[in-house]
Amino acid sequence: MTVVDQKKCDECGTCIGVCPQDAIILGKALRISSEKCTSCGICVRICPFAALSTDGGKSK
Amino acid sequence: MSDAANNKYDIIVVGAGPAGSMAAMAAAEAGRRVCLLERKSKAGAPVRCGEGVGFKGLTLSVEPRPEWIKSTLTRARMVSPSGINVEIKNGAEGWILDRERMDAGLAAMAAEKGAELIPNTPVTSAEKLPDGTYRCVSAETGDAREFTAPCLILADGVESRLARGFGWNTALKPGDIESGAFARVKSKDIEPDCCVFYTGSKAAPGGYVWIFPRGEGEANVGLGVIGSRCRPGLPKELLLSFIAGRFPNAEVTDLHCGGIPVARWTRPLVKEGVMLAGDAARQVNAINGAGIAYSLYAGKAAGAAAAKSIRPNGTCDHRTLTEYHRTWAKNYGKQLDRSYALKEFIMSANDAFLDRIAESLSKEDPAKISYLRVFMRAFASKPLLLLKAFKLFK
Repeated sequence: MTVVDQKKCDECGTCIGVCPQDAIILGKALRISSEKCTSCGICVRICPFAALSTDGGKSK
Repeated sequence: MSDAANNKYDIIVVGAGPAGSMAAMAAAEAGRRVCLLERKSKAGAPVRCGEGVGFKGLTLSVEPRPEWIKSTLTRARMVSPSGINVEIKNGAEGWILDRERMDAGLAAMAAEKGAELIPNTPVTSAEKLPDGTYRCVSAETGDAREFTAPCLILADGVESRLARGFGWNTALKPGDIESGAFARVKSKDIEPDCCVFYTGSKAAPGGYVWIFPRGEGEANVGLGVIGSRCRPGLPKELLLSFIAGRFPNAEVTDLHCGGIPVARWTRPLVKEGVMLAGDAARQVNAINGAGIAYSLYAGKAAGAAAAKSIRPNGTCDHRTLTEYHRTWAKNYGKQLDRSYALKEFIMSANDAFLDRIAESLSKEDPAKISYLRVFMRAFASKPLLLLKAFKLFK
């Protein structure tokens, strides 16, 4: 699944805007739902600060 | 228990940006019980915006306070991929805003009119209840808090996540969003009254770099990269390398990122008792990413329709809410549809083409160059696109 590096994340919500699965929530910090995420990688590519990465579904 | 203690309102507004605060202000001014829920501790910070706005667009919806305006722009320059300058000088047309002050000011004005501004409240879920009202839950900060109302205005920004629960598909295609990076730069090399735009695939693929002077030797420098040509971290890398090249030894602060929707505005804007406004409704000019004026206008119209829709018995007349959609479509909808169609053309232009346009425009009188002229010149060499665009303009 896709994971967020909280140190790099600026909490801008760009990834949420493109997520086709509604798998990302911005509350106090950014969270990605392991149930909903399909590791499609759209959010990873668009992140302006390279805060997201995908491990190819290994940790699911 | 009183309604206030019960967290029952006539209208819930989610997001205290320009759209949300204008909506809350308009609805509260009309005497409705309104709450304005904001994720962060205060509205307006951090700034994820170039802060440029046209005179007309701003003053159409709100009387700006002097402290919201950092500087006045009197000229502009567009720099082509190979470095050809096109000077544009046709009188003062815009301001650079202090969004932190303006957003906080608008939220405070909404509160003065009677809206209850509730910060530190990220709405984690929203749903329709069996009695036809809507419930928003904030479940991230200690005990879960609930808010209910028969009418809901979602102004939750580029994420536009809550709308999905009500049947809107607001997920943006990578070609419909710019991945942006923003910074404040202090340097002696900043021209105080001139905004500068850099185009080209080296500067910002499918977007542009902007320099917006905000006075006192400071400027907003930012850029957007179209999502379909982005890779992880590219906007930040490009921005920092641009600043290092253009403003050596500059002081760089407030480095932030953010998404800029360059999509068609969402249709419909209203479903039953739920309305979308601002970036959440993709009410942005797809050519240049401008959104402030549209958000202010849309928020105000949404808030006014919401106020009118509440019946004496406290329920919401959904048909009245659709006045918002019609007002928007009539006044800004067509204009933004045209911009979206033109975006297609801009995206298809390669660097050599941008250079050719710049080359021919650079010989013209700067006082006579306008956006329209830039586009006419571009279309002259791509007549098929002109035909396509003509259908949209008539």
